[in-house]
Amino acid sequence: MTVLIGILNGMISGATPILLAALGGAFTYHAGMFNIAMEGMMLAGAFGGVMGSFFLHSWPAGILCAILASLVMALIFILFSVVLRTDEFVTGIALNLFAVGATTYLLRQTFHVKGVFAGPGIVAIPKVAIPLVDRIPLVGQILSGHNLLVYAAVLATLATSYLVFSTRFGLRLRAAGYNAACLDSSGVSTTRIRIHALLLCGVFCGLAGAFLSLGYVTLFAENMSAGRGWISLAAIILVSGNPWGIALISLIFGLFDGLGLLLQGSGIASQFTSMVPYIATLAALYVYSIRKKGRA
Amino acid sequence: MTRKILTGIAGILVALLIGALIMLAEGYRPLATYAALFQFSLFGLSPLATTLKNSVPLILTGLSASIAFASGPVNLGQPGQLAMGALAATLGGLFLHLPAGLEIPLLALLAMAGGALWSGLAALLRIAFAMSEFIVTLMLNMIADFFTAWIIAFPLLDPKAFSPMTRQIDRAGWLGEMGGFSGSVLFMAAAVAMSWFVFRRWRAGYEWRISGQNSLFARLGGCNIDRNFVSVMLFTGALAGLAGGLVVMGGPHRFLKGLGANYAWDGVMIAIVAGSGLIATLLYGLFFSAIQTGSLGMELITDVPSEIAQVLQAVLVLVIVAGREFVRTALDRAEARRQARERAA
Repeated sequence: MTVLIGILNGMISGATPILLAALGGAFTYHAGMFNIAMEGMMLAGAFGGVMGSFFLHSWPAGILCAILASLVMALIFILFSVVLRTDEFVTGIALNLFAVGATTYLLRQTFHVKGVFAGPGIVAIPKVAIPLVDRIPLVGQILSGHNLLVYAAVLATLATSYLVFSTRFGLRLRAAGYNAACLDSSGVSTTRIRIHALLLCGVFCGLAGAFLSLGYVTLFAENMSAGRGWISLAAIILVSGNPWGIALISLIFGLFDGLGLLLQGSGIASQFTSMVPYIATLAALYVYSIRKKGRA
Repeated sequence: MTRKILTGIAGILVALLIGALIMLAEGYRPLATYAALFQFSLFGLSPLATTLKNSVPLILTGLSASIAFASGPVNLGQPGQLAMGALAATLGGLFLHLPAGLEIPLLALLAMAGGALWSGLAALLRIAFAMSEFIVTLMLNMIADFFTAWIIAFPLLDPKAFSPMTRQIDRAGWLGEMGGFSGSVLFMAAAVAMSWFVFRRWRAGYEWRISGQNSLFARLGGCNIDRNFVSVMLFTGALAGLAGGLVVMGGPHRFLKGLGANYAWDGVMIAIVAGSGLIATLLYGLFFSAIQTGSLGMELITDVPSEIAQVLQAVLVLVIVAGREFVRTALDRAEARRQARERAA
């Protein structure tokens, strides 16, 4: 039973960063942008989180700095792809590499270390026990006691779903992706909608980054986003940007992530267990393509 | 062409200026830093030879990305293909013992086969199951990374080593130096020349380019789109694999942890800056290598950490690409305005 609870808890914390980043990417997906900069935004967020938490000695400041750092990335993306009209794919790739370079450089500059910065000075985001629920046996152990950002991710899913499908902003957002010229001619600036979508994506990816460096672990490591931004992109494409679909896919990835961690105790080399989420992504793409073929 | 060169040079100058501003903000002396950077990468025979040698993996992976992007397939699998190529060359070097004249070409071929195998896997998944090669190659990168990490940590671990690495490959497979210049530069030059020839002069290259520019036109003109896709993937995978093999043969002579460094992603960046042009890839590859090589020396005599090179590179990419696109839209707009005025008159 403890094994099962362990897997489920591993699943939830593995799913959270992917879910948050993918929800951010869902906004730009619906706005008709090919945004692949989630990886870089998340990494910048993770670094900002550690900076804020370490120097201001509080986790809310860490979260705030994470969001700010990620927003800086989003602003650069806006400057290049929306204002200067550079190709989105090119901007995204360059931005991801910029994030790796800049965080590595700043890591060396501010903390005078290479590779990893960990220290007792970093204040982690606390875990939250939900009153009443945590008393229920089993269910309480699974649902309660998670990192604050896990619950934030659940709320974010609700909020994204509401924003995209039930508000005027959401209608315009989807119109920007569906037929930008039509939206422009009805008097709403597509450019402005896309800028808003990117800013929202920045906020969500900042939260994802903060979870990585202040929740999942309490440290910053070079390139610690480790392809999660790409996995979240795959998740968005697989469910065409539907927030609940994204949540489901993220949980599946989280499950494999958790399984990988569990298998480490069983004598299988850790290199193979670390591969599991990426193989799972390939498997998901395979299932997706088979299903699509069946429908056609 | 002139416009390309002009925007390129202007972009480099602006990017270096931005870099200088960053250094000023950090309290360093930009001019002295740049002087040290280029002193250790371009001035003198030995710095130049090092820059050339370091440019080999950058240019080969850059070429791989350029040819792929210009032909359609979004092959972002260079990191994985480089690792598999390096692994194949290492395996060959560990277990084959031939005279150098046979061993070296054979290892290079094995490296190319290793890279092509990994890109071919992505091509197969695309052709058979319509899985987007963009995400597949990215995922295969991570898988190759972990797989090679396992190989060098368990089955092929050098028992005398303190960190994961293989034994050294057969001495016959070592690429020596000729007049201070690494032999891997020769291989690179040959690969660049051959790629240029195939891509610009051969019928296959013509079909690739047409498919990249207008896939529908290519199909109506009688090109086999699927076959071209597979051949581009195999060709570009082989180039990235060769990069890995040459790193092993010309450098540490073994597969050790962190061998691939960031070469392949830098290569992708170079391809993007170069706008997928082959000659431009070569030139930007040399320039990026100069920055990386010089940054190590620069760190020795100034206080500026070598990581600034990574920041500088990313700024270069963004500024050059944005500048190019901006000039193009500005010119298009001016042209449209001129036509509108003519029509009104």
